[in-house]
Amino acid sequence: MANVPKIGKAVYKGPSVVKEIIYGITLGLAVGGLWKMHHWNNQRRTKEFYDLLEKGEISVVAEDE
Amino acid sequence: MIVLKWLFLTISPCDAAEPWQLGSQDAATPIMQGIIDLHHDIFFFLILILVFVLWILVRALWHFHYKKNAIPQRIVHGTTIEILRTIFPSIISMFIAIPSFALLYSMDEVVVDPAITIKAIGHQWYRTYEYSDYNSSDEQSLTFDSYMIPEEDLELGQSRLLEVDNRVVVPAKTHLRIIVTSADVPHSWAVPSSGVKCDAVPGRLNQISILVQREGVYYGQCSEICGTNHAFTPIVVEAVPRKDYGSRVSNQLIPQTGEA
Repeated sequence: MANVPKIGKAVYKGPSVVKEIIYGITLGLAVGGLWKMHHWNNQRRTKEFYDLLEKGEISVVAEDE
Repeated sequence: MIVLKWLFLTISPCDAAEPWQLGSQDAATPIMQGIIDLHHDIFFFLILILVFVLWILVRALWHFHYKKNAIPQRIVHGTTIEILRTIFPSIISMFIAIPSFALLYSMDEVVVDPAITIKAIGHQWYRTYEYSDYNSSDEQSLTFDSYMIPEEDLELGQSRLLEVDNRVVVPAKTHLRIIVTSADVPHSWAVPSSGVKCDAVPGRLNQISILVQREGVYYGQCSEICGTNHAFTPIVVEAVPRKDYGSRVSNQLIPQTGEA
């Protein structure tokens, strides 16, 4: 029974708090970024709407039949 | 451009409450656009915090499940994390406060020289509107009452509990001053798409300034409990092109004032 390699026992080291916080903030920023893209898209469409309204290409007044 | 035109031409702005509506009505004034933008700014931080907290919660439940981590630790202090979790929320609060105060103070700006002043008087259970700009010393101001159209008198396409017999006609793209008061109990003059909610308090004149950016019909409802018919006192503002405003007022409103 000589020269038997030692078998190391796996011990659960636990999570890294710093890593989990970084992952959480990154995920939050990613989802928040999606919301921001939705917001910017809305702003762009609103601006386009008012620009077209100003130019007279569209109208919000219904035509009399 | 054709697709854009098609899209816009077939989309009518949301200027009244819609069934199952989740978001705000479309903005018709710069104030409402500012309110919507502020909401979007704050919602970004809400999402950031929600996702972060949910992530930490789920990961904590995962890592410290009793089968994986039989012996819980007894941690009572953590100076670094306590400092961080105090400073970061304060920074987030500051980022929320800056646009919020900017909007709040800009909403309080009084327009020095509005083109038109309209008085909105709350009653139980109808509104009276006065256009006093056209007086000479001998004439009465242009005054009319605005009652809700009952459900049995509605025409096809009209909205239940929102339509009125006499709308408030205002010119679009013009600075307006609205003076709100009440003749009996407190009411509130609210038009969501204009970003306006102003309490009508008896014995007090409250003033708001608005600039309606596009023509349209904007609906609102009484927003201060005022008795049994509180839910049946709507407000309808009709913004017309500036060139048509004069004729609308003289043709439509003056005959009604004569009847009233």
